[in-house]
Amino acid sequence: MSPFWAVVKKELTSVIRDRTIVISLLIQLFIASFSSALLLGMLSLYDSDTIMRFSGAGIKIGVVGESQLSEFVRQRGLTVVPFDSLEEAEAVFFQNGVSAIFVVPEGISDTAQIKLYLPDNEAVSSIIRMVVQEPLKQFENYLREQNGIEVRYEDLKGKPSTSFEFIYSVLLPMLMFFPAFVSGSMSVDSLTEEVENNTLQTLLSAPLSLNAMISAKITSSVIIAILQCMAWLSLLRLNGIAFENTGWILLLALIVAGITSTAAVLGAVLLKDRERSQFIYSLSLLAATAISTLLNASPITTLSRLAVGDAYTGGWNVALFAVVLAALYLVLWKTSRRLAG
Amino acid sequence: MNQILVIAWREITRLRKRFGGGASPVAVLLLMGAVGLSAFALRDTVSLGSGLYRVGVSGDVPAIEDSRFSVIELEADEGQALLDSKSIDVWIDGAKVISRPDDKSQYAVRALKQYMEKAELIRVGNSFAEEDAFPLRVGINYLNPYQPPAENQTGGEAVAPVTKPEEVIIPSLTPPPAPFTQVLVALIYILPITFISIFFTSSFMDEKVNRRLTILLSAPITPFQIILGKMLPYAVFSLATTALIAVLTKGDVLLALAIFAPTTLFIFAIYLMVPLFYRTFKDTTFIAMLVTTLTTAYLVFPAMFTNVNDLAYISPLALAVKMYRDEPFGWREYLFPSVPMSAIFGFAMFAGTRLLNEEFLMGYKPITRKAADAIYLMMAHAHPYLSVPLWSLLVIPIVYLTQVVFLAFATNLPVGLIVGAVLIASAFIEEVVKSVGIVVLAERKVVTKFRDILLLSALSALGFLVGEKLLLLISITMVSQASVSGALFGSGLLLLIPLVAHFIFTAIVSLLATKAKFPYALALTLGTIVHFIYNWKVLGGGL
Repeated sequence: MSPFWAVVKKELTSVIRDRTIVISLLIQLFIASFSSALLLGMLSLYDSDTIMRFSGAGIKIGVVGESQLSEFVRQRGLTVVPFDSLEEAEAVFFQNGVSAIFVVPEGISDTAQIKLYLPDNEAVSSIIRMVVQEPLKQFENYLREQNGIEVRYEDLKGKPSTSFEFIYSVLLPMLMFFPAFVSGSMSVDSLTEEVENNTLQTLLSAPLSLNAMISAKITSSVIIAILQCMAWLSLLRLNGIAFENTGWILLLALIVAGITSTAAVLGAVLLKDRERSQFIYSLSLLAATAISTLLNASPITTLSRLAVGDAYTGGWNVALFAVVLAALYLVLWKTSRRLAG
Repeated sequence: MNQILVIAWREITRLRKRFGGGASPVAVLLLMGAVGLSAFALRDTVSLGSGLYRVGVSGDVPAIEDSRFSVIELEADEGQALLDSKSIDVWIDGAKVISRPDDKSQYAVRALKQYMEKAELIRVGNSFAEEDAFPLRVGINYLNPYQPPAENQTGGEAVAPVTKPEEVIIPSLTPPPAPFTQVLVALIYILPITFISIFFTSSFMDEKVNRRLTILLSAPITPFQIILGKMLPYAVFSLATTALIAVLTKGDVLLALAIFAPTTLFIFAIYLMVPLFYRTFKDTTFIAMLVTTLTTAYLVFPAMFTNVNDLAYISPLALAVKMYRDEPFGWREYLFPSVPMSAIFGFAMFAGTRLLNEEFLMGYKPITRKAADAIYLMMAHAHPYLSVPLWSLLVIPIVYLTQVVFLAFATNLPVGLIVGAVLIASAFIEEVVKSVGIVVLAERKVVTKFRDILLLSALSALGFLVGEKLLLLISITMVSQASVSGALFGSGLLLLIPLVAHFIFTAIVSLLATKAKFPYALALTLGTIVHFIYNWKVLGGGL
């Protein structure tokens, strides 16, 4: 076995022996499940479509006075109970017959003031306000039409898109790029530990150049990252989440892990201690994410587009990141001498 | 006090040396500048689903400026073909929106609806008189649902009094309350604190690598002074950033400081544990990541439910959300998150002073052994009859935090399994906490007799039960203000049964592990199973 692979093997076995990599896996599982739980919680609390699906027809709204509003409320899937006066409506309200009461004055014209009576209980009233928001907006548009103002694109429907957007623009990129982030951190630790404990000189007495040693460290962290990505992709498949371009996605994850590890090692070569290297590494990662988004070449967007099968995204977009990796690696190759000096 | 300041000053000097001179301060400034500028440029454009949809437009269509959509200009005759070949998800031809029936296209339509609604509002608002553009006012009134008005003499029904002054809204301009954005703003406060803790952690690691800690510990200062001195500069800096963020986001500075001071202490408490337990540099990275994730989750998750559920006050971020909405909150709401966090800080400081010795820091052992050593060091200085129940009582906030985390994990499971899984996990963590002290003490031969172990199990169960009920009492009275102490403590039998149950489980685990020489994991599993069956029966029988 060549010295290069011997170092790779040593790095991998040390990671497995320390078992702390399990923490990293747990974190990812935790973030994934946590953000999904969060989304689910948010949806059931703040998304009127989800509320309607679970308890829509059970919500009864009392309406005093005739108007188009009753029709809009009914179209939303809520149950409308008409009343003649507020007194009657309130009597039913206090017997839990209706959850809220609208009072619409007669002959409503240009600027209308209607009244909404809600129970003084934040949890219930905020749900009701969420489900009547859509009918109120429709009623508002109807009144605007009466005033001669035309509102365009008001009849769009579609399907609730939050889950779709969450899975492809948050969950999948998170699971593919978090291992890359970790592998960069690991490279910093691995290299600075050799420097600070003065074991680097011993390692360099082996028949192995400095660049080969550094590359071996990068290779081992990238291997760990890509193994995690493959595991997450299969787990997502098992959960019935479909995505396209699996090959390109994995290649992109591999290249990004390469970029983060190379950049991290570059920082460690220049700074030589863990504290500063980790700090600069985290900061640069933030900066790189922000700048790439600004330049409209974010790997996150590329990954989302690959996964949903965007017609204009393919191997060329991935190749762009390969160029970045090559450039970074060249810089590292030229500067690594400073570590031995 | 003087010694603490000396150590604090030394810490500042250390940092200045690290970051002074050479390229690194310039690099830090440049990077921070880049992050700040990009954040500023991106503040409105980044949203969920960035870059997911392709929209083709032809004819007179308003400009679509939303990061979710990539817009392609096309001729009216190519639209349908591109739509059919799935090159675009939606085709907007003038005022018409054409879509395919498949899911992706329909998602795009919904996203477009959200955007267009806003865009049209701005257009209508800008081009027409306000009264015409926003013709609807809704006056919202609240009624107390539990207090119907008294019937008046004549038998007719009166209009009930409203409980709050009327709030008038324009529906299209007033989205229903959701704390999401305010939670994100509140999250900004946490970020710098976690960043700063990298340095705090490194400070101890440096001492360890350079073996300077030995010298420091032989000097006439206590570990407590060392920890406090090293923490001081970072704590001051954290509070300064908190104040700065409050100024920049137009929050109330004093209030923000009051809200986030316990949080800062809490985060420092946890980061204090990292350098004490690490063996290699990689350990530090992983442990620090774990800590950051869990604390962020613990802080953010409850805050999402501000104004929906009173338990949101577990997290101080809920208070920050209230602050940004100009809503008042009282002492109860403030103390509810702050007391447990400060308690954890106190506990960590105590643990830190006990563990900050050379033998413990330098040993390279499996992490479980290190934890056992740590527990022993914390308990060894008092009589077991005092330290065991105290331990069970003091770790309650940590148990409680862990159970919240388990709950998040469990939501991944099928609905039918969630309750069972959470019950098993909670039983397990409770058994660990109650028995671990006894097992460690028995292992070190501090207690050996059968009778002693039984007695310690009983004390441990008592300590745990008292802590558990106290926490429950505090949370319930603080939130609902109802006097439930009667229900909790009124009936002696109600408390006796769980006490006996806790005692039996702990005794099973402790005796199996110490006297029958079972492996600890096996003893725990058996204890957990019995505990779980008991919990299940209690839930099922409605005891």
